[in-house]
Amino acid sequence: MSKLKLYTAIYVVLFVLATGQTLVEFAGLDYWVGLWVILGLSFVKALFVAVYYQHLRWEPRSVSFVMLVGLLAALALTIAASYSIL
Amino acid sequence: MSAEAEQSTDHGHGLPPASSVKRWLVTTNHKDVGILYTVTALFFLVFGGVLALLMRIQLWTPGEGFLAAVSYNQAVSAHGLIMIFWFLSPFAFGFANYVVPLQIGARDLAFPRLNALSYWLYLFSGILFGVSFFQGGTFAGGWTMYAPLNIPVYTPNIGASTAVLALVLFVASVTVSSVNFLTSMHRMRAEGMTLRRMPLFSWTILLTVWMMLFAFAALLAALLILSSDRLLGTQYFAATDAGGSLLWAHLFWFFGHPEVYIVFFPALGVMAETFQTFTGRRIVGRKWFIAAMVLVALQSFVVWMHHMFLTSINLQIKTLFMATTIGISLPFDLMVFALIYTLIKGRVRFTTPFLFSFGALVLFIIGGITGVFLGAVVLDYEFRGTYWVVAHFHYVMVGGVTALFGGLYYWFPKMTGKMYDEFLGKVHFALYFVGFNLLYFPMFLAWETPRRDFVYPEAFVSLHQLSTVGGFILGASFLVMFYNLSKSLLVGEEAGDNPWAYSVTTEWALPSPPPLENFPGRPTFETGMLEFRRGPGGTERSGVEAADGGEPTADGGEPSTDGGAAYVAEIEAESGHDEDHASPWPFAIGLASFVALLGFSGLQQGGFPTGLSGGFYAGLTGGGLVLLGWTLVRLARERFNGPVGPFGESWPFENVENTKLGVWLFLASDVVLFGAFIGSYVFIRVAHGWTDWHDLIPEAHVVLPGLINTYLLLTSSFAVVLALVAAERESRWGLVASLGLTFALGVAFLVNKALEWLHLFDLHGGAFAGGWLPSTNVASSTFYLTTGLHGLHVIAGLFISLYLIARAWGGAYLDDERPVEYFGLYWHFVDIVWLFLFPLFYIL
Amino acid sequence: MSSGVGASVPVGVLVESVGIPAQSGGGLVPRGSRVEVFQQIFEVFLVLGTLVGVVVVGYMTYNAYKYRDRDDRGDADDGIDAPRVGELPTGSGGGRKLFYSFGLSTILVVSLILWTYGTLLYVEQDPPGDAEEDLEVEVVGYRFGWDFVYPNGHTSETLRVPEGETVHLEVTSDDVFHTFGVPELRVKTDAIPGQRTSTWFVANETGSYEVRCFELCGAGHSYMTADVEVVEPRTFESWYADTSNESETANESNSSARPPEEVVG
Repeated sequence: MSKLKLYTAIYVVLFVLATGQTLVEFAGLDYWVGLWVILGLSFVKALFVAVYYQHLRWEPRSVSFVMLVGLLAALALTIAASYSIL
Repeated sequence: MSAEAEQSTDHGHGLPPASSVKRWLVTTNHKDVGILYTVTALFFLVFGGVLALLMRIQLWTPGEGFLAAVSYNQAVSAHGLIMIFWFLSPFAFGFANYVVPLQIGARDLAFPRLNALSYWLYLFSGILFGVSFFQGGTFAGGWTMYAPLNIPVYTPNIGASTAVLALVLFVASVTVSSVNFLTSMHRMRAEGMTLRRMPLFSWTILLTVWMMLFAFAALLAALLILSSDRLLGTQYFAATDAGGSLLWAHLFWFFGHPEVYIVFFPALGVMAETFQTFTGRRIVGRKWFIAAMVLVALQSFVVWMHHMFLTSINLQIKTLFMATTIGISLPFDLMVFALIYTLIKGRVRFTTPFLFSFGALVLFIIGGITGVFLGAVVLDYEFRGTYWVVAHFHYVMVGGVTALFGGLYYWFPKMTGKMYDEFLGKVHFALYFVGFNLLYFPMFLAWETPRRDFVYPEAFVSLHQLSTVGGFILGASFLVMFYNLSKSLLVGEEAGDNPWAYSVTTEWALPSPPPLENFPGRPTFETGMLEFRRGPGGTERSGVEAADGGEPTADGGEPSTDGGAAYVAEIEAESGHDEDHASPWPFAIGLASFVALLGFSGLQQGGFPTGLSGGFYAGLTGGGLVLLGWTLVRLARERFNGPVGPFGESWPFENVENTKLGVWLFLASDVVLFGAFIGSYVFIRVAHGWTDWHDLIPEAHVVLPGLINTYLLLTSSFAVVLALVAAERESRWGLVASLGLTFALGVAFLVNKALEWLHLFDLHGGAFAGGWLPSTNVASSTFYLTTGLHGLHVIAGLFISLYLIARAWGGAYLDDERPVEYFGLYWHFVDIVWLFLFPLFYIL
Repeated sequence: MSSGVGASVPVGVLVESVGIPAQSGGGLVPRGSRVEVFQQIFEVFLVLGTLVGVVVVGYMTYNAYKYRDRDDRGDADDGIDAPRVGELPTGSGGGRKLFYSFGLSTILVVSLILWTYGTLLYVEQDPPGDAEEDLEVEVVGYRFGWDFVYPNGHTSETLRVPEGETVHLEVTSDDVFHTFGVPELRVKTDAIPGQRTSTWFVANETGSYEVRCFELCGAGHSYMTADVEVVEPRTFESWYADTSNESETANESNSSARPPEEVVG
């Protein structure tokens, strides 16, 4: 498969996932189940963009680690701060 | 180095001689920028120091007197902000700029113009802060800027907004600088200079910039939210029932605790270097020392809530953060012992730099022990907000400053070529050390004094008077230093290349000051010892003479005392061009940012007030933004050749080109910025009650515009991918068309968003009869500000894409598609952010 | 940061040798009024901290002096592997000693903190008295003063409490971030708008104490004080019985008539 075909396929997947994500709300799921499904779909889409469109797959792992560290820092802040007032 | 030699190395770079003022406005050379940083930081030391003395005069007796209450609060706040932001880190970064490239064997930093830009943003942010004093008084809510005292309801003066904007500009400077240092230090080390073998000062700077990259992004989020609350009328911190007050504390300390190590690590690096040099011994347990620092750098991001033990956070999280806090204190024990054991069996020479470093270690030990008291939560409960805290952190932070002054004396001969007066240096140290302890130690004894109060119990009067006397002695000690250094600069003895026996690092193998390209040949540590190589295949080698620090000598071929001219010629021959060292645009961009932000400070509730002053501020904003755009384009269009490879050691980014790594690092900090915005949203929503949130949002806020925008952005991402493919296939029109499509989709995104916002602004009837505005409630605030920040990223991307389209039209990028690729990285990132904002703000 | 060259004695032994009196409940964990627990823990920290500080600083100064560079030092340059310019940085040996010192300081610091954690749990979860019957007062900070609201609705600018009994406080703020503290009674907690924090104290002596604000809150911060009056329990009972849900003086709870020093800034 040429790169262009791969990129196009990913575009289609992203389009479908975005639509699916919006439809989850109307699927009649429990609110909290729906919430995690929706957020999970966001992460999946983000991974597709990062891994293929941003070429992280073809870069040294160290670049991915840097981004992961940033993400972990943001998650630590979000989770610990929110937990502190529960 | 003689004046003639200096002249000769400067030829052909467009860089005026050091005696000309113009040189200092246009220089991009890391050594010049280092000197600019050092001198400017010393100016802010005096500024912050004078404010501290004003406070100490006020505290001579309890009660209002010398200063009015508001003035006292301004002095307290400005002293903290200036010392922590505009003095401490920039002072250390003066040395970092000067020394790190020399130590790792790089001819300059990766992006010399960005380095100059960091400096000018720093200087102009400091000037902006100074201006705030004249706009009805500067910010008076303490350097911690606790909410909601920081919003206009309680601090309405324009100067307070200006102070916040000055900090925003400062953070911009720090972010640019972190990206630059990280790229340079990871990618541009000399052969054999692996990370494991890097000198300890460079190690501390490396870890400092890593922490800066992430911590300052969190601060930027806090400051942008605060700016928006102050200038646009959003309700984050005013919404105290939704945890607004705690939100600030979380954001601020998430930055604030790493900041402690950000300012302390370089001092630790200076201590490590000077201890090794002046004991003539290599440090004990070097790899454990490094491991301990890495551990601290990581842990520093999970200890912030120990600043919040008395807030309403729960016991479980207090316990967790108590544990992480003890955890982070332990690596420091190891580092202290490593330094102490390095003394044993050494040949300790009590020079001025060593005295300052040794003194710093003593002060840091006292600061550390008193810090353990604060780690015990039960004791912390009582020490909170008292002079115990004040004394403790001054022992730690000014303890660090003590070491940095050791660094100033240590590198002064290298930076100027002149030796300082050793006797006066020792006098400075004696006065400094006595003054320091007289100033801060009585604060431990008078610890029950409430912090930032000028009314204190009568019982402590004599202790506070001792402090005041100590403060003036400490201040006076700097007069000795300034006299010593300026006199030495003019009439001091020539220092020679290496005035210190047993120094190891590369800067001491070079002339004082080093020539523009730093080295007499390509530096390499391939054989385990520093060598400079020239000629095809590095056939001409020159080594370095041992301990006594003689001139670098050539083992064969011409002597290297030509100031590196032969090496410069060789670089030119290899890369086909000169390396540039001058650009006027960093200064111009700094000035433009200053003007624009000064204009912004006049904003109130999203608009400029009517009348003369409103028009003045609006004019400044408009003029500043136009100037900013123009200067940025000029910078981009300027032909500038920075240092090019091949580089020796680039672990762990061997195959990531410098600019690409720079873009990635910038995006990593952007991840934290958006992460902190999203984190704020989650926090506020949890505080408000997650599912009750819907009551704050009108029915008219529907999913559809968000979904359409998701489709638009996804498609535009795809268009950028197509542009890159077109560029790789050298299809000019394919490239222009794809970029044009990206631009069109981005514009469509913004238009759709504008329509959506206008609709929401203009609601009638129902629960939101006055429209759903940014100031309506905390939900509207988070919605408009977070998606607005994203929108600004889109707008910035559109400007870049316009620039790319214009260049592609002219046939650019077909032979080198990298700019398109790097723009794509940014654009995809903006897309990814939207992938999270869409569900959070439209679906859930 | 701390270090423990001189303190290898187990903390438990040390604590007892320092002479901690067994308080209510006894045992190793300090209990009692907040003044008592603070005093006990603070003293232990102070003694150990001073000891460690003196030993470490003394040790390093001694070594710096002992190994000072002198002309008459015989070992000269030969025999030692002196560092040279241009060498790649490496370390010296001596790792074992480093780890012993590190281990020792770790044990010292961790045991100290764990020891105080027992007291933290006591302070947070198990204060003396009976939570059902003890007096609970709501404290509201404002720029620049304190309101105390009693269970019957009585509001006062003075906190009047019975001697020797546990008093619970629920603290909040009307405007900005303040910190409520009575230094002499060792009670302190943040007063955060929109949040409630709780704390408690026992005053064992009658008399008057001063409430202060410990977080910068504006121009009047230094003057943001109030009085705590500790009275005999019987006096308190009779005083409290006479109060109603009216304010002590007419203008106190009326925010528009707050003290004139409420200056913006």
